[in-house]
Amino acid sequence: MANFNIDAKQEMTYDAIVIGSGISGGWAAKELCEKGLKTLVLERGRIVEHVTDYPTMSLDPWDTELRGSLTPEQKAKHPKGIRSGFIGSMNEHFHANDVDNPYTEVKPFLWVRAHQMGGRSLLWGKQCYRWSDLDFEANLKDGHGVDWPIRYKDIAPWYTYVEKFAGISGEALGLPQLPDSHFLPPMELNCVEKHVKERIEKEYNGRNMIIGRVAHLTEPLNGRGKCQFRNRCDRGCPYGAYFSSNAVTLPAANATGNLTIRPFSIAQSIIYDDASGKATGVRIIDSETSEVLEYHAKIIFCNASTLSSTQILMNSTSDRFPNGLGNDSGELGHNLMDHTYRVGAMGKVDGFEDQYYKGRRPNGIYIPRYYNLDEQTKSDKFVRGFGFQGSGGRAGWGSGSNQENFGGEFKDGLMKPGPWEFFITGFAECLPSHENKVYLNKDVLDKWGQPTLSINAEWGENELAMNKQIRIDAKEMLERAGLQDITDFDNEHEMGYGIHEMGTARMGRDPKTSILNGNNQVHGAKNVFVTDGACMTSSSCVNPSLTYMALTARAADFAVSELKKNNL
Amino acid sequence: MAAPTLLSLLQSCKEQKRVDWIPQFLNQDQAVFLASFVDTILPRTETPGALDMKVDIFMDLMYAKAYDEGSQQYVKTEIDKFNSVCKDEFGSVFADLSAEDKTTVLKKAEAETAKFNPGVWGTAVGEQKPVAFYRQLKSMSLWAYFSSEEVGKNILSYDPIPGEYLGCIPLSDVGNTWSL
Repeated sequence: MANFNIDAKQEMTYDAIVIGSGISGGWAAKELCEKGLKTLVLERGRIVEHVTDYPTMSLDPWDTELRGSLTPEQKAKHPKGIRSGFIGSMNEHFHANDVDNPYTEVKPFLWVRAHQMGGRSLLWGKQCYRWSDLDFEANLKDGHGVDWPIRYKDIAPWYTYVEKFAGISGEALGLPQLPDSHFLPPMELNCVEKHVKERIEKEYNGRNMIIGRVAHLTEPLNGRGKCQFRNRCDRGCPYGAYFSSNAVTLPAANATGNLTIRPFSIAQSIIYDDASGKATGVRIIDSETSEVLEYHAKIIFCNASTLSSTQILMNSTSDRFPNGLGNDSGELGHNLMDHTYRVGAMGKVDGFEDQYYKGRRPNGIYIPRYYNLDEQTKSDKFVRGFGFQGSGGRAGWGSGSNQENFGGEFKDGLMKPGPWEFFITGFAECLPSHENKVYLNKDVLDKWGQPTLSINAEWGENELAMNKQIRIDAKEMLERAGLQDITDFDNEHEMGYGIHEMGTARMGRDPKTSILNGNNQVHGAKNVFVTDGACMTSSSCVNPSLTYMALTARAADFAVSELKKNNL
Repeated sequence: MAAPTLLSLLQSCKEQKRVDWIPQFLNQDQAVFLASFVDTILPRTETPGALDMKVDIFMDLMYAKAYDEGSQQYVKTEIDKFNSVCKDEFGSVFADLSAEDKTTVLKKAEAETAKFNPGVWGTAVGEQKPVAFYRQLKSMSLWAYFSSEEVGKNILSYDPIPGEYLGCIPLSDVGNTWSL
């Protein structure tokens, strides 16, 4: 797949503009193009063509001079992002430059960004779980945040719609708190994971351990190949086996002939016309030439990623909206959420010495939420809940570093797989808090002289109470599953480590307390839609990207039908 | 009195070890130390040793190209310190010690050095105690050895494109640990 139309010089007016080409922007582009709209995608970074622009996708460690290590020069570009532990020389080119794009941590906050076509859809964890009414009703029931303007029934058909095209592998369980997706065949658990699953499910009534539900093809789909179990996803997949904008939605958008994508285009603001009460276009800065240009369209989808979309709305001031587009409520920038991260336990599993596995499965196990589902499972320490991810496997030669040994026998022993190890780590829901916020910082400017974001957010009591419970439960589950040498841990990471930023331009029923309505339309600018993580009203405890996909497809459908009715 | 002195001088000149490659970062004494260290940790058996895999040459390259200035200085200082401890306690630098003394030195270092915390998805879990130079060096030696092409492709089980995931198979079907 090649030949994206990147010539946006001729034409300054389109039917629709999509800001950003990550998971939600890619979906917006596909849906709008397929519905016949001439669509311009504004991408702040470079073009990344599927396969062609994956230079490291098939490299073995010894194929590069430093075997995957970063040089000091590479590290210097990512002083913040490197904290995630995910940046190496095989994927460094897909991580944003922190120096050109500074942000201010009023309280510690890790903001991982990816500034190129496809955005973080090239790097994401691919775990895909539907939300349930337990999530959509949570704010209303316990009074934190505002009520979601939608319920599960509103989004369920759109989950199915995006799942059929994205390809989600998993096992149907019928759990009310974790609705089943339209599934491709599940990946397999290994011997030890099966063993631990049996033990946990026997020890605990109502607790499940399942294979992760993931956006990886386990069967070919629409010309994309199935997963080859190389686990080199974050370099780009030559088979298109995992869902990314580059491999899936943008090629579909391109195939319609309606797509133009303009790289190196930093969306500075959305242009609002006070007279008509609508947006008329997007003002961009060409990141290469610093030229300022204005593109026009009838519909604008803002999908720059949670905090960047909010930043654009904040930059979009007018007489009608002096405090940022759609910000009558004063909630723009507030209610930032993430999932807690790196609290759990690990241990060794005796036996199974003669068993092994084949393939590097880009997926692990999942333990769905089991607290506060009903009266019986109610906690007196916290509201909402958490789930666990994890996996089991045999120790490799790396375990030799800690062995009090060296020499020939030691070396040859490391050629054989070591003991079986198993870990789980929790992801807890984060309550929407007005205090957790971002705002424009005009004292710290980016490379293009634009104000940057200050992030002022921290975990609240409820999240910290859940982290305590996660640690206790993780240890207890491993103990009751019969593991040995158990280590429980809480890394006390700040917000942002979950890389699940949500909120700051939330959906709601009331313009006085929210930025977007139930169709992701900006209150007071009905032809502007925000369908990335910024729109989230609460955070659930499950990974959010699948929900962004479904909300985007739903909003695009609504937008085009409204356009046809001349309502936009 | 003159003769033995001259003799010992000659001997020490003769025994002044050098490596047969040109280090990019380490000085000769440090390169000699590193060669001896990796050879003691990972000697040749029926399978190749660290020196066969040019582990020391690769580590020198890493120090030159992947380390920032502070870390580079740390490596040099720590190698020199390691050698001077050997001198103080056993009478010569590490490379010149007998096999027995080398074992004693490394066993002591093993016992005294904190271990690495386990990691999950790229970051260590729990509060990591400072890990002294010995274990950092050992860890890097293992990585340099096991990530070498010969070991990765021909000794460990190499399968760049598995094509499938099989969760439970007999270890005997695979043999050595997977290299990737």
